[in-house]
Amino acid sequence: MKISYNWLKWYIPDAPEAEKLADIITYHIAEVESLTPLLGEEGAGGGDFIFDINILPNRAHDLLSHLGIARELASLLNINFVDPTAKYKIPESKPTELKIEINTAKDRRHVGRIVRNVKIGPSPEWVVKHLESIGQRSINNIVDATNLVMFDCGQPTHAFDLNKVKGARLNINAAQNGQKITLLTGEEKELNNTMVIISDGEGNPLDTGIKGGKYAEITTSTTDLILEADNFDPVFARKTGQALNIFTDARKRFENDLSPELASYAMHELSALVLEMCPEAVFEDIVDTYPEKQAERKLSFSAERISKILGLNVSSDEIEDILKRYNFVYTENKGVFKITVPMMRLDLEIEEDMAEEIGRILGYDKIKGNIPKINFKPKVNETYAKIEWVRKKLLADGYNEVMTYTFRDKGEVEVMQSASDKKFLRTNLSDGLLESVKLNKINASFLGLSEIKIFEIGTVFKKNGEEMHVAYNEGNKIIEKNLDEFGK
Amino acid sequence: MSTEHPLSILANEAYQAFSEMGFEITIDGPEIESDWYNFGVLNFPDDHPARDMQDTFWIKNRKEYVLRTHTTAVIARTIEQAGKEGRTPFAFISIGKVFRNEATDVTHEMQFFQIDGGMIGENISLAHLKGVLTQFYKKMLGEQVEVEFRPSFFPFTEPSIEVFAKFKGKWLEMMGAGVIHPNVLRNVGLDPTKVQGFAFGGGLDRIAMVKWDIPDVRLFYQGDLRLNQF
Repeated sequence: MKISYNWLKWYIPDAPEAEKLADIITYHIAEVESLTPLLGEEGAGGGDFIFDINILPNRAHDLLSHLGIARELASLLNINFVDPTAKYKIPESKPTELKIEINTAKDRRHVGRIVRNVKIGPSPEWVVKHLESIGQRSINNIVDATNLVMFDCGQPTHAFDLNKVKGARLNINAAQNGQKITLLTGEEKELNNTMVIISDGEGNPLDTGIKGGKYAEITTSTTDLILEADNFDPVFARKTGQALNIFTDARKRFENDLSPELASYAMHELSALVLEMCPEAVFEDIVDTYPEKQAERKLSFSAERISKILGLNVSSDEIEDILKRYNFVYTENKGVFKITVPMMRLDLEIEEDMAEEIGRILGYDKIKGNIPKINFKPKVNETYAKIEWVRKKLLADGYNEVMTYTFRDKGEVEVMQSASDKKFLRTNLSDGLLESVKLNKINASFLGLSEIKIFEIGTVFKKNGEEMHVAYNEGNKIIEKNLDEFGK
Repeated sequence: MSTEHPLSILANEAYQAFSEMGFEITIDGPEIESDWYNFGVLNFPDDHPARDMQDTFWIKNRKEYVLRTHTTAVIARTIEQAGKEGRTPFAFISIGKVFRNEATDVTHEMQFFQIDGGMIGENISLAHLKGVLTQFYKKMLGEQVEVEFRPSFFPFTEPSIEVFAKFKGKWLEMMGAGVIHPNVLRNVGLDPTKVQGFAFGGGLDRIAMVKWDIPDVRLFYQGDLRLNQF
């Protein structure tokens, strides 16, 4: 995920300089794959630094965003966090005719609102700058606003042209087998009943959940909008994305299981942005459909157990300091902590998760290595002993060891998909070894060998199972045996 | 004159280093592995992005079987067996061929060798992991080697870390590791309230390339004796 340093600094103005920050992120959060300075002459975003961070799967639900990273860094470094919420002007709103109906458990929350009297046009310069700095193209003010919100807080949002949406109504249902939708890209996709379709009062297909449709697209003539922020089930998002070959930023976020709590925050931010871009806009009330509220989770752990997992003495005071910095609500009694897990931290489920949390925040360099002594009597592995015996025997007979490819263009066992054209597994070692004999004969003088003597020990794959074989050559003849038969 | 394949030389050096620290060698697991031992037992949820971390070859006409993507599957099988036999505490090391369905280049190959290990006892911690791996990399790459941990994620360990070794002045990514997740211990029949341990795994080819300055991972599987010079 590309993260702009200047964007981060909105929220953490006291952040250390970019290079130092990159190290901090790598050692405490996730690997910074690259840090790229944007030069002044490179247009919008010049003078910024871009971090490409390989966000880990267990934090992708809250760190695939500038706000998420900034919040994490503020706590990690114990520096000031400027909460943006206060500066989002809340538009005055009027009663609404918008109707939302969710008929599938795959949509866990839908937050929608109508906004009238907007003017589609270019975005303000700061929006263009923010988007271009992280490699996103500016499209128009409203579309940019929805994208900006996603890269800012992590919640995908979308806007429809209200005047195309019949009955001011969104129905969110399981798709029907064979149902078709034309995406924003113009591509037509055929859906099935494991997928989701958002449609209007007359059944016109508007959105697949992970990618919007062409039908109610925002155009330069759009004047009225429906803004929306959904929370989709992660398995649905992943399966639909795989089946339809859709790799959107929205899919990526949904499949990492976003907190449904985020949707209302995003609507708030999106509304404020639209108001900034279109001061004449008229906002209607938010319609929030949230059938099952995210449950609050409690978690208990002890300083003793954390220390035991890390192999590092961590005191209750050190833990308390971390919990305070990260704004956890907690109680402590004799080194046993009970915390209320923040809604955004879906990754914290068990005591071991807190060991990781505390370990990475303190820094794994604090852990000093030592080799344990355990009361264990290792046994000799018979297969390994046999392989070693065969290898030594062949080496003693003047043979050289080679390894060849398991994948062949013929065989009895086939893989379903392959990045290569060789989709079968070898049924013998002989074919590969014979090629090796030929290759090495060409190089014999370079190798200083008058005769090529080679062997391979490896697994072969037959219809009824895999076997460990050994093969060696006598001139151009290959002798191949089951490992157990060798030497008998 | 007869020569051994560099990966065999290295595998035996690795086995030697771990044997000196009390590990038992295990290679008792198939290369075509069940979805359960390759993923399920290791706490990979179904349809989870974590599965994308390992591009998998699925076997045609054999539902739920894969070419193993890591020898962690062998360690899982072995600790399950050792647990049944009541051998705790224990420590195992395994080197074997693994497969990933990805385009090949100088650092990526569809088949390669992985070294995997695990130790389970009453109080086996991340500090013990650091001690063991530091000793291992010193034996493989020389006394001057340093080892550090950085945050990572694997479904089968919690905490999860990435192991880096400093060799010739550069920090190199060598392995993934961590403290074994309690779900994995339960899946192999052990009681996470009684035992705890670590697991690690990484490419053996990678160590060979670093140690001997071999520029291209694909050279290992050409059957070309010009590679046997170590």
